[in-house]
Amino acid sequence: MRAVITIAHHTARRFLASIPALLGVLVFTFLMMRVLPGDPAVFFASDPNAGPEEIEQMRKTLGLDRPLPVQMAYYFRDIATGNLGRSMTTGQPVVTDLAERLPASLELTVTALVLALSLALPLGVLAALYPGTLLDHAVRFVCSLGVCVPTFVSGLVLIYVFYVILGIAPDPTGRLGAFDAPPPGITGLLLVDFLIVGDFESWRSALSQLILPASTMALFVLAPLARMTRASMLAVLGSDFIRTAHSLGLSRRKVIITYGLRNALLPVITITGVVFSTMLGANVLVEKVFAWPGVGSYALDALLASDYAPVQGFVLLMASVFVLVNLTVDTLYGIADPRVTIE
Amino acid sequence: MKINRRESIKGALGVAAGGLLGPAINIGSAQAQSRAETLRHVMGAVFTSLDPTLQGATRESFPLSVNIYDRLGSFARKPVPGGLSFDFDNIRGELAERIDRASDGLSFTFHIRQGATWHDGSPVTTDDIQWSLARAVTAQSLAKAQMANGSMTSTDQFKVVGERQIEVKLSRPDRLGLATFCVPFIPMFNSKLAKKHATADDPWAIAWLKENTAGGGAYTIESNRPGQQVVLKRNDNWKNSEDGKLPFFQRIIIQTIPDVSSRASLLERGDADLTLDAAASDIPGIEQRGKAKVIGLPQSNSFQCIAFNTLIEPFNNRLVRAAIAAALPYEDMFKAAMFGRGEPLFGATWETPTHSAMPQKMPLQYDLDKAKALLKEAGLANGFKTTFSFPTSASASVEPMAALIKESLAKLGIDVTVQKLPDAQLTTQVVERRLQMFFDFGTSWLPTPDYTTRVFFSGTGRWNASGWNDPEVAKLVGEARYETDKAVYDAKMLEIVKRAQRDVPVALLWHPAHDAVIAKNIEGYTYWFHRGADYRDLKRT
Repeated sequence: MRAVITIAHHTARRFLASIPALLGVLVFTFLMMRVLPGDPAVFFASDPNAGPEEIEQMRKTLGLDRPLPVQMAYYFRDIATGNLGRSMTTGQPVVTDLAERLPASLELTVTALVLALSLALPLGVLAALYPGTLLDHAVRFVCSLGVCVPTFVSGLVLIYVFYVILGIAPDPTGRLGAFDAPPPGITGLLLVDFLIVGDFESWRSALSQLILPASTMALFVLAPLARMTRASMLAVLGSDFIRTAHSLGLSRRKVIITYGLRNALLPVITITGVVFSTMLGANVLVEKVFAWPGVGSYALDALLASDYAPVQGFVLLMASVFVLVNLTVDTLYGIADPRVTIE
Repeated sequence: MKINRRESIKGALGVAAGGLLGPAINIGSAQAQSRAETLRHVMGAVFTSLDPTLQGATRESFPLSVNIYDRLGSFARKPVPGGLSFDFDNIRGELAERIDRASDGLSFTFHIRQGATWHDGSPVTTDDIQWSLARAVTAQSLAKAQMANGSMTSTDQFKVVGERQIEVKLSRPDRLGLATFCVPFIPMFNSKLAKKHATADDPWAIAWLKENTAGGGAYTIESNRPGQQVVLKRNDNWKNSEDGKLPFFQRIIIQTIPDVSSRASLLERGDADLTLDAAASDIPGIEQRGKAKVIGLPQSNSFQCIAFNTLIEPFNNRLVRAAIAAALPYEDMFKAAMFGRGEPLFGATWETPTHSAMPQKMPLQYDLDKAKALLKEAGLANGFKTTFSFPTSASASVEPMAALIKESLAKLGIDVTVQKLPDAQLTTQVVERRLQMFFDFGTSWLPTPDYTTRVFFSGTGRWNASGWNDPEVAKLVGEARYETDKAVYDAKMLEIVKRAQRDVPVALLWHPAHDAVIAKNIEGYTYWFHRGADYRDLKRT
């Protein structure tokens, strides 16, 4: 009980501490978007019949005719009331768009991360157990390959092999097949939603849509995770307490998993947190290739169109996600190694 | 033990690999029956609004609106080499079963089809039509400017003259008057439904119609996931087609697939039926493999060009523009950028124009000696430095072209920096007249020569990219608009073409191809001025 209260207390403190950072990010993005060249009013009012009058009207509709400080004041007022503005590129309120797209990104990222970790941890541990052997080199080769091949290439190759040639993967067109029933829309995470409503055929369909993009992403992040596991494991395995454990005649399994891996996990957790946040926001290419309706491609499209509101909304979202992920990582430290406390 | 663990890890890897390959081989088997009557259209863009007249609506919303709403009239279709196209000179009624035209060109009477209904089943009345026309000339939308193009600016011009008759009066015989009623910007609304959602601030229900529809066209919206997918369902009470029959397809799935090669694979695998935005570089391969068919027609109402900013040094000198226009390797550019698809607007052999079309094939040819002489005459024999800009969205075709331009102009001593700009930035710089030489394009829905000249070759708007400002052209084009005598009209247009030939405000390149990649068993695809698919034309055989 006391532990829970402590964690809750720390969480609250961390949130308060992150508010100035979030505000800073907001102001910075707001100003940056307006410094960028490209006038959204001109861009969006580009019908052949649109003259200066239409452009002016568009500017007014967008609220860009007001002085910058006034715009910013309105912006903060809107954020406080949960309104992130409206996207010109999709025509929807930004909050609706993000609420629809964040689960898509989350589902993809979490699946990819689980996949990557389930490969990277064993591979890293193996490589550390037999350093310098053929196995170690093989792991290094696989990791280098994963990180060297850009995701849009590996994605296209996977599509080509499994969809175009073999025909065993579904068409790479988003989260659901075009002819499938619409998602129930409970949590937005399709795998969870279909389980809740008990629709197993759609669940399978959603899973099969997810596998290729998740594998593409997993391949790309395999390297940092496996290499970090290996390095950290090597250091731990060379330390005194492992030698002691061996000399006390403990089983090899206990020595490596319980004493070795657990002590080696801290840097791996750190890098996992970083990898997760990066994957969530920066995997535009995977999203584009698989028509995945995620937040990354949404923000990129908006940026190219000088569409302020979605970009600002996206940055705010990502900043918040970073805060949450860091908090989770810190909490996990405590679980992995009780000597570590969050302060 | 060692082996055991290794074995178990191998096993785990095996399971992971199995997970990659295993599931879902059952695509599409469930609904094979309805699949034949469902059309799946994949595209790169998204719909931003269900009301195309809203500023910021993407051009994909134009064909969407055409399938959901009826207009008073529509263009007929005609066969052209390679397929079917809309026929600008032949207007038929759509929601109107008959259109009477006064011989002086000053009024039209639309007879609303007997028994026509809206999607909610209520009858189409003259009140609805009057409200829709009033909305077009009053509400703050793109319809207003479109109506003004057809000389309609006031609600006084529309009058109910019978139980099902509406009369439209023009103050001058505008040649675009009747055609205006055929474009996606002038849909007919179910006014009773729309008015329910009007507010004091928004009397024309603009906000509501952006996300909802109130029409009576061939299709209704079954589901809409913005940015991902729209599903249309056939309206089985629809009576306004060319031949009075219902469209073939019962459902249309329009899906956004951002990756261009994914779209092509979907078509070739037979999982999708139509895409209009395949990469030009993929088209020859698709044609050769023959798994899907390609209908390639020149976009007769669209052109691409290299624009020169005529308002700045050195491009304000027509000799410099003519010199560059003579140094462009047109044939190579056409091959590199368009893979030879489309219809060239260069390489004409005439010296004085005989044809009043605008734009038309111009006597532009690669002639380096002529270019050198012109540049010398302009006093720039040693060349100069300049930039060639183009928008990111066009980079697939323009990038190879830019390299050829740079190489060719280097022979004149002109040092070209190639600059790729995000679309929004390029548009802004065009308007601010800050670019030097750049790639540009234009499309007119109603491609009369005078309209194209008015928008793209005169005035100060965004689309007069070169900023070319010849007072004589402005005067001629203003007169031509209302000219009813064909001979006089042609004479005025010929003079304009002659001036464009002399001044070279832009180097016209080509009508780009409109390539529809379509399933082999689908017939009837028609090229429309809005450059989208009219699903009502299509059927699976």
